[in-house]
Amino acid sequence: MISPETQAPHWEWYYIAMYFYIGGIAAGAYFIGSLLELLNRENLRSISKTAYYIAFPLICITPILLIADLGRPFRFWHLFFYTKDAAPYMNHTSPLSVGTWALLVFGGMSFLSFVNVLAEDGRLTSPGLKKFHVLFSRIPHKIYAAIGSFFGFFVAGYTGVLLNTTARPLWEATDPLVGSLFVASAASTGAAAIVLFMLNRKAGTSETFGRLEAFDRVAMIIEIALIAVMLVVAGKYAAPLLTGFYGVLFLGGTVLVGILIPLWLNWKGFKPGAAGGSMATLVAVLVLFGGLMLRISLVQAGQM
Amino acid sequence: MAKGMFVDTSICTGCKACQVACKEWNGLPGEPSHFHKVPNRPYPVAFNFTGNSYDNTGQLSATDWRHVRFIEQFNENRTEGRWFFSSDSCKHCTDAGCLNACPVKAIVRTDMGNVFVQQDVCIGCKYCIPSCPYGVINFSEKTGTVHKCTLCNDRIHNGLGTACAKACPTGSISFGEVSELKKKADARLSQLKGLGFTKANIYGYDEAGGLNVFYLFMDNPTVYGQPLNPIVPQRRLFKSAAITVVTAIAVAVAALISFRERGMKKETEK
Repeated sequence: MISPETQAPHWEWYYIAMYFYIGGIAAGAYFIGSLLELLNRENLRSISKTAYYIAFPLICITPILLIADLGRPFRFWHLFFYTKDAAPYMNHTSPLSVGTWALLVFGGMSFLSFVNVLAEDGRLTSPGLKKFHVLFSRIPHKIYAAIGSFFGFFVAGYTGVLLNTTARPLWEATDPLVGSLFVASAASTGAAAIVLFMLNRKAGTSETFGRLEAFDRVAMIIEIALIAVMLVVAGKYAAPLLTGFYGVLFLGGTVLVGILIPLWLNWKGFKPGAAGGSMATLVAVLVLFGGLMLRISLVQAGQM
Repeated sequence: MAKGMFVDTSICTGCKACQVACKEWNGLPGEPSHFHKVPNRPYPVAFNFTGNSYDNTGQLSATDWRHVRFIEQFNENRTEGRWFFSSDSCKHCTDAGCLNACPVKAIVRTDMGNVFVQQDVCIGCKYCIPSCPYGVINFSEKTGTVHKCTLCNDRIHNGLGTACAKACPTGSISFGEVSELKKKADARLSQLKGLGFTKANIYGYDEAGGLNVFYLFMDNPTVYGQPLNPIVPQRRLFKSAAITVVTAIAVAVAALISFRERGMKKETEK
């Protein structure tokens, strides 16, 4: 039975939901980039590079958000080290603990990939970083691309599992689907971020955009299917997500503006003739907006 | 040797001595006053009441580690009625959601079986708060950490019982060895059943791996605001993680298909 009296953590949307969102984009983008690297798709190299350029700076923002939400921010290092045992610490039953370690590993891998693309584009000017690049380049790129994409998925998905592994009615009732939903959303927003970045730098070809849009379409279909199943599973406990302010954010922001409209535009744009830059920009912006609304509505409605 | 408490709600009178004793021993600040002065009125004005019977805190919090519940059951024309009281606190679950959720080992179980928050370790991530199926633990802005009942950790490790049990004037709260308390609870239950209270039941033998602080209720536990068969959140973790991995694999396959090498036909089309 779902508990009638549980208390909300009062996580602020501009810290926690924002972290879920930004971490998701970084992870989704990194996954796409590293997959192409693993597949040896040299003609889609521009996508990989863009993904690596996006992932690292974004993942650098996330610890700031997470630490700012702590009651005792200067104790954040307790997450990694337990002083009373003088040993590193991880609680395997706590998604928050495991996720923090995953974020650390993902951050490291995305940093290596970031330095790598800087070197590839001849932008590596700092002698220290140059030496470092020479040093770690002895390890095949694919190894850390593979490790990074695994932990990228972890970072994208554990946030949803973290919500499901609580006793709050909405989060418990939507178990076990929020992790899946966040993974699908991370993939979709990651692809959208790559499209937006490439359009901005005029770096893409029609093939790269076509591939990314095709992937984004599948991710959006998975996402809308998961939302439908989640609402059925949650039943009456889904009420905070479907009514009131968060109902508007979720149904209007995520489902309609963030998924259904871009899905329709994406589908239409795929008829021969291909969509122009402005249409692709619009789709990417809508998808990114929908991802943000999804995180805010799920995190905040669960605390009502 | 787990220590715990048995709360026999059938003999609770709702005096709140336990609430007061808890606050005194643990040095917890008082609640805002229930009456205050308003400009232009000579008399104090009622303020800060829950509006729910004699309940004065409404819930457990970082500064209220005990909460006496008042449950009024009246029929429509109020000719018949019952008034239940139940002193609620942390249950010190054997499989504790808060302890399982804590990422920094701030929440630990001591050798006496009580679940204890180490104030010098807690980082204030607040993840334990939604992880408690009973809504016990809560955050204090003042300290930036979480607080809850410690089962009077300092007292019980020095040969004393809990402050609330000590203060209880009717013996409704008793402190002791859990196995001993269970015998007492079973005896009291069979006595009540013999007297015709068929709805009487013991809450806490099986919930969350067994509660070290358990209750005798005169009606369904939900009447007292306690969930029937609450699921410790972490028991759902594996399934949730597994489904997420399956979705991740599905997304990866979708990516493989979207980014695969295209056949000759497509290449020439381009």
